[in-house]
Order: sequence, then C-alpha cells, then structure tokens
Amino acid sequence: MKTANQPLLSLRGITKRFGALTAVNGVDLDVCPGEIVVIIGPSGSGKSTLLRSVNFLEEIEEGTICFEGSEIGYVKSKHGRRHLDTPAKICALRSEIGMVFQHFNLFPHMTVLGNVMEGPLTVQKKSPCAAREIALDMLAKVGLSEKRDVYPATLSGGQKQRVAIARALAMRPKLMLFDEPTSALDPELIGEVFDTIRALGKEGMTMIIVTHQMGFAKEMADRVIFMEAGSFVAQGTPEDFFANQMEHDRIKSFLNRIL
Amino acid sequence: MKFFSGRVSKAILLFSCLLLLMVPVSHAADYDRILTEANDAMAIGDLPAAIALLQKIPFDEKDESGAFSRSRMQIARLQFALQDFAAASAAAKEVLAVYPDHSEALSFIASVQQEQKPRYAVFIEDCLRFLPQLLKGAVMTITLVFCTILVSPLGGLLIALGRLSSFKPISGFCWFFIWLFRGTPLLLQLFFIYYGLPSLGITFKPFTAAILGLGLNYSAYLGEIIRGGIQSIEHGQMEAAKAIGMSNWQAMRRVIIPQTYKRLMPPIGNEFIALIKDTALVSTIAMVELMRSADQMFNAYFNITALILAALIYLLFTTIFTFIFEKIEIRAGIYENR
Repeated sequence: MKTANQPLLSLRGITKRFGALTAVNGVDLDVCPGEIVVIIGPSGSGKSTLLRSVNFLEEIEEGTICFEGSEIGYVKSKHGRRHLDTPAKICALRSEIGMVFQHFNLFPHMTVLGNVMEGPLTVQKKSPCAAREIALDMLAKVGLSEKRDVYPATLSGGQKQRVAIARALAMRPKLMLFDEPTSALDPELIGEVFDTIRALGKEGMTMIIVTHQMGFAKEMADRVIFMEAGSFVAQGTPEDFFANQMEHDRIKSFLNRIL
Repeated sequence: MKFFSGRVSKAILLFSCLLLLMVPVSHAADYDRILTEANDAMAIGDLPAAIALLQKIPFDEKDESGAFSRSRMQIARLQFALQDFAAASAAAKEVLAVYPDHSEALSFIASVQQEQKPRYAVFIEDCLRFLPQLLKGAVMTITLVFCTILVSPLGGLLIALGRLSSFKPISGFCWFFIWLFRGTPLLLQLFFIYYGLPSLGITFKPFTAAILGLGLNYSAYLGEIIRGGIQSIEHGQMEAAKAIGMSNWQAMRRVIIPQTYKRLMPPIGNEFIALIKDTALVSTIAMVELMRSADQMFNAYFNITALILAALIYLLFTTIFTFIFEKIEIRAGIYENR
C-alpha cells in the first residue's frame, strides 16, 4: 500500500561487478517523493554506475530495486538465476525514470524540437501534434523555445544540456537522474544548467544528482551522500554534512582536492 | 624481277589467246598489246605509265571484248593506289556508263567514297551503327544495377544487424555468409548459381540468377560497411535512446541508423560504382548487357569503335553515380553544418 512516507525509490544491497572489480558494493538508498539527493565522491567510486543501475543501463548482480513500492526490473528463471526482465518491461520502466548524461547525448540528426518530441512520439506513440505541444512546453520550461528549429551542433554546451533535460522531462518521469550534468561544461555555462535543475526542484521533482559542484550540493540538496569504493561512507543534510562530516578524513581530503 | 615480269606476261599472253578465240579479231590484237604493255609498266612500278597506256583503249558502247571495262577498272584501282580518289571514281563511273549494274564498279565507288570521308565522319557513322545495340545493352546494365541497389542495402542491413546480434546462431550465420560471399570470386558465384544449381534441381532464368548473384555478393560487402557505420556511432547515442524508453529496434531505426547515412555514403558510393562495372561479369551467364553487346559488335565488325563507345557509356554511368552520391552525402550530413 502506498503511503505518504513511502519512498519513491528504494534500493537494497545493490552490487555491480565488472569482472574482479566491484563497482558498487551493497548500497542501500531510499529516496522519498520530492527529495533531492546529491551524491559526491572521487571518480571511480561507483556513483555513475549506481545511477545507471537504477535505469537498467547496467545489469546488477545482487540487490533489489523497488519503485513506487514494487520490486522492478529483475525476474528469476526456473533455475533460480536472476536476469533482466523482458525488453518491453525494461523500456516501460525507463520511460518513467528520466536520465541526463554528462555528454548530453543529444540526437545530432534531429532538431532541438525533434529531440524533445522523440520520446512522446516514438515511445509513447503520441500524435505528432500532441508530441509537439509537450515538446514546446518543455523547451519553454528550460528557456530554449527560440532554439527549437536548429540542430544541436549549433548550441553551446549549456544549451545542449538544457535540451537534454527537456528531452527527459517530455516523458513525464517521476524520477530524474543526473549523471555529472555539468562536468563537460565550461565554468561560465554551469549556472544556466543548475538554474534549470533548481527550477525543477521547486516544482517538486524527485532527483538523484551526481556532481562535483559542492556549492550546488550545499544549496539544493535535501541530502548529501559521500560515496567511495562502491559504498556510501557518509550522508546527511547539507548543513550537517558540511559541518560535521568534514571530520571524516577521507571526505576532508576529497573536498580539499576539488575545492 | 625479270622472272616475275616474264611469268606475268606469259599469263597475260595465255589469257589474250583465249580472248582471241572469242572476240572479233579487228581490235583485239591492239588491245592485247596495250594490256600487255600496261602490265609490264605496272610490273616495274610505273603506275602513271600503265594508266596512260590503258587510257588508249577507247570508250566502247558495246564493249563486246570487255577490254574497255577491264581497262577502266584497272585504271580505277591504279588511281586508288596513287591516292587520286577523284580520278579513281571517274574511271569506275565510265564502266557504269556501259554496264550500269557493274557490281565491282559500284562497290568500288562506294569504298572510294568511304575512303574520302574524314575520320570523324567514319567514327560517327560507326557510332550510329553500333549505338542502338549498345544502348539496348546499357538499358540491361542499368536495370541490373538498379535491381541490385534495391536489394543489396536491405540485405546488407540485415547482415549487419545479424552480425551485431547477441544471439550466437544469427551472428554466426551472418559471419559465415560474409566469409563465403566476400571470399570467393563473383564470377564463380554467378557460374555456380546459373550452371551449378540446376544440377541440384534449382534452375534460374539468367536475369534472376544475375540479380541473385550480384545481390548476395553486394549484400555481403554492404553488410560489413553498414556494421562499421553502426559501430562508429558513439555509445552514448544508444544509451540516450534507451534512457527515454526506446526499444533496441526503435533506437536503431530512429537514432543510430539515420546517423550512419552520411558516414556510409562514400564507401557505399564506391561499392555501387564497382557494381556498375561488375555487371559486365553477368555476360558470362547468357545475359546480354552493355559489355556483351560491345563484344558482339566488336567481333562482328572487328571495329574498335564499339569498345570505345561501351567505355564511354560506362564512364557516363559512373560519373552520374559519383555526382549523385556527392549530393546525397551533403544532404545526409546537413545537421553537421554549423
């Protein structure tokens, strides 16, 4: 049964291995509706892999993913071996979870409008008219209505990332995953992307954000998590985290390195 | 030299004796002497002298002895040898005045006219003679090319997707297909399909066999090209497509494959230009296309113009293709222009 306090996403014991390397090692995480979770940590600590696991871009070896109270994504075969659910089910799940990538990954052969329309049009099988309307809405939301007819190649990095956000939003996701959304941007372009994400947060969107921008984490996050070597080392509200967890040697040295 | 002229004159003497028996004696002796002297003059290479001698045999409306027509034909040949084409045909025309249907004189005049024409006129005449047949062949060549262009990209796409499939039997089969059709000569494949398969009870018409051979062969090549194109699209594109909920096939169709078009155009253009020339191979399985037509013309007339024309038609086709593919490449990559 759904309750007000029930987490939207609930991860238990998520473990992902690449050969001998354990990228994510038994991670538990609950994300409540409307919550903004920011994950920080050194590169190679498994932040991106964890995020990608939630969207089934990585197939996990152990653990369960619950979304809106029901376990999703994996089924057990007769022989007891677990494997990914049918492609159709996985596609349906992905369309409820939006993802934004470090390198934008816009479709270069489609116009800005085409990129944003693509999900509603192809995946949700909406009519071109309806898809266009949704796309125009989303472009207005990220402030790029006037760029709708150009190709991505003509946009700046910040604009590209905002289009990518609009593309993900067009599917009306219940959860948004941001995988280092500003890491590929010039410093002066980071602000516009965070403004867009901030506006989303004000609307109550549930988000998990992997980033190296501490200022943003402090300002926006409901919860900050420090991840290292595949595990959560510490977490807390931004005030608590940056005030108290700084005692933590590893966090201290990490923050000193990137600040 | 002496021996030769002696033998010639002996032969002429014998011939004249025969004539003596058949014609009135009056002029015969005179004419004989003239012909003999003319022959002697020819024998020592003095052609003008021979002509002058032969001119002495006067016009004779009846020409019962045949001496007049023979002398004028001889003059015509000598003038021809001296490259005086006007005088040569004038002499032949004198013969026609007596015998309007004289076939030797008629064909002689025709060949003199042919000889007098400028080279380009002869070339144009040959072209007009060969073109209808060659164009028929060219139509067949283009038909073969277009049918193969319709079939092979589809086949190639299937092979490429099959190779990329994670289902082992399919990727294995596609690997085998490419290995087989890329690893053996197209000529051998055509022979096998047209001459070999009937022994297994499978018979094809030449055209079907040709399309089958070309289609399979080019599918194998295009398959590898298309696979390379698909794999050259960066991985993030597939992930982004999946992240908004697309299935594998939707992502391929909407996102990955359209981005390969621009990259595929140069190698596919290359393949199709090679295809235009490879259609010449089907002439070996009873297909009459451009190469076969040119070969037939060349053998019938022993005239190199047929081959030159065929080369020009092939060049025309490949040039048109080159331009078409350049245009398509530009249009396919329009989104990359800043």
